[in-house]
Amino acid sequence: CVPPDVQAACQDPTVTQELLQEGFHRDLLVKVELGEDAGGCAVAVRAHLPPGIYVDPYELAMLQQHNVTKAVLIPDVPDVEAPEYLAPDVQLVLSLDSDPRCSRCFRAAVPVHARYHRPARHSQPASVLLHSPQVLLCCCHSHLAAECWQPVEVGAPCSAEGNIPCQWHSTTHRPAQEELVLEVPVGLREHSPLVCAVTLLSTLLCASLILAATCKHGHFS
Amino acid sequence: TEGRSPYGRATYRYTPLLAWLLTPNVFLAEAFGKLLFVAGDVAAAAVAYRALRRRGAAAGRACGCCAAAWLLNPLPMAVSSRGNAEALVALLVLATLYWVEAGSVGKAALCYGLAVHMKIYPLTYALPIALHLRSGAGPGRAGRDSKARSAIVAHVWQLFVKMLNRDVLLFGTVAGSVLAALTVAFYHLYGWEFLEHAYLYHLTRRDIRHNFSPYFYMLYLTAESKWSFALGLAAFLPQLLLLLVVSLAFYRDLAFCCFLHTAIFVSFNKVCTSQYFVWYLCLLPLVMPSIKMSWHRGVLLLLLWFVGQGLWLAPAYFLEFKGYNTFLLIWLAGLLFLFINSLIIVQIISHYQKEAQVAKKLKQW
Repeated sequence: CVPPDVQAACQDPTVTQELLQEGFHRDLLVKVELGEDAGGCAVAVRAHLPPGIYVDPYELAMLQQHNVTKAVLIPDVPDVEAPEYLAPDVQLVLSLDSDPRCSRCFRAAVPVHARYHRPARHSQPASVLLHSPQVLLCCCHSHLAAECWQPVEVGAPCSAEGNIPCQWHSTTHRPAQEELVLEVPVGLREHSPLVCAVTLLSTLLCASLILAATCKHGHFS
Repeated sequence: TEGRSPYGRATYRYTPLLAWLLTPNVFLAEAFGKLLFVAGDVAAAAVAYRALRRRGAAAGRACGCCAAAWLLNPLPMAVSSRGNAEALVALLVLATLYWVEAGSVGKAALCYGLAVHMKIYPLTYALPIALHLRSGAGPGRAGRDSKARSAIVAHVWQLFVKMLNRDVLLFGTVAGSVLAALTVAFYHLYGWEFLEHAYLYHLTRRDIRHNFSPYFYMLYLTAESKWSFALGLAAFLPQLLLLLVVSLAFYRDLAFCCFLHTAIFVSFNKVCTSQYFVWYLCLLPLVMPSIKMSWHRGVLLLLLWFVGQGLWLAPAYFLEFKGYNTFLLIWLAGLLFLFINSLIIVQIISHYQKEAQVAKKLKQW
């Protein structure tokens, strides 16, 4: 626990996240404004992606190849086809680039995709809650204020220059969590009986039409 | 290219042969695969052209059919150039039909075994091919003297018993051996993963995400219910019955029978995406001369087919890229598309006339 008077001296980073575009395919834009200078450390965020959304690892690899985005998925190849109720949680460590708008601002975007969710009652879309990501600093040389930043294990490589060991740090105090909500349209359970009945009747009707034509024009010797 | 299994790549659900064929993508150029598939497209047209000429079509007409239905058709172009290997399977299927009609049963069986290894759907052609090869031993002796309706069962039984002639056995043995050899070899190299992704996945695939299939919404809503298995089976039965009856009715014209087979299979399948259309479009050039339909009717049906797809694509776009809840509209559009496909199939069957070809063949004997 950090004593309150020391806590007050630490300037918490401000994290905002935004979902761009609409539908099942979005861009997650994360912006961080640090309380003090990064001091030569690389800035990143660790986001916890709920089962309702996923990042395509092959799309990510291609973006990294073109130097557009740099991120690490843990686990590294999630099931991209599973519906939400069969999908795992994933962690995303996203490296941020400096934002030209201000000296302590950093930002990055990553494409995310919504999964299919269970059908619901009463035409409510499913909600995917995205918690505020945790800010991380990857430091190789600098000394950060120990009362504000603590070393942490992340499970992703911290960019190293040669053989110098670098270390991930996160804030000692977690700022107030803001949630971002992504709404995903789902089917309606109330439709089930009608949809099943009409679908099966239609396929039977169409099959009968083809059967009748075949029996009329076919050559059964 | 790193000596590892192609199944390390999630969603790779094809034969390792395809991965091997595409290794120049890494060594030479990224576009190699797409160029290979486009070449496959052109080669398929060449085989279709030769098959048409063999069936007695004039050079100009054969050329026109191939060009109109396949070479200038934007769908196979788009499918190959985006990187789907359907053109290679189309080539193998066309080669199989060509060699069967030319009488080279061994070569046909080789192509067939390879085709089934690459995609499972040509397995449905086994029955029409067997019936066709069986009938090559002597036309129409089987049932001319069937007296009453109750003799239908006995008649069908007779057909199947008489299936086992030399050609059928040769075809079955060669195709079976090719398939078994490839399966054993790849199982030895890549293990259970190969069987699971290359074969089993396609047999048990239930994709609840939106697609052209009329069953999509029903399967999505009942994915976790106790009725899921029974409904899946109910969806399979019309497909099976139609394939059986069509095989018995049209096996004499193998290309036409296979075309109907695949059109029915794709239209009534639990999952249907654009690339499946290539499976029957490749047989359209072979079938066109036998369908005596006015240009107006043909163009109208074609337009209807595109309109059906358009009416599905619109709500699907709004669901996927705008987030509107258009599930009901997509479902209805899927049913409409099924009706349109069924109508087209019925029209094709109604306007099918093989008499000209039969007369020609009789003259040749």
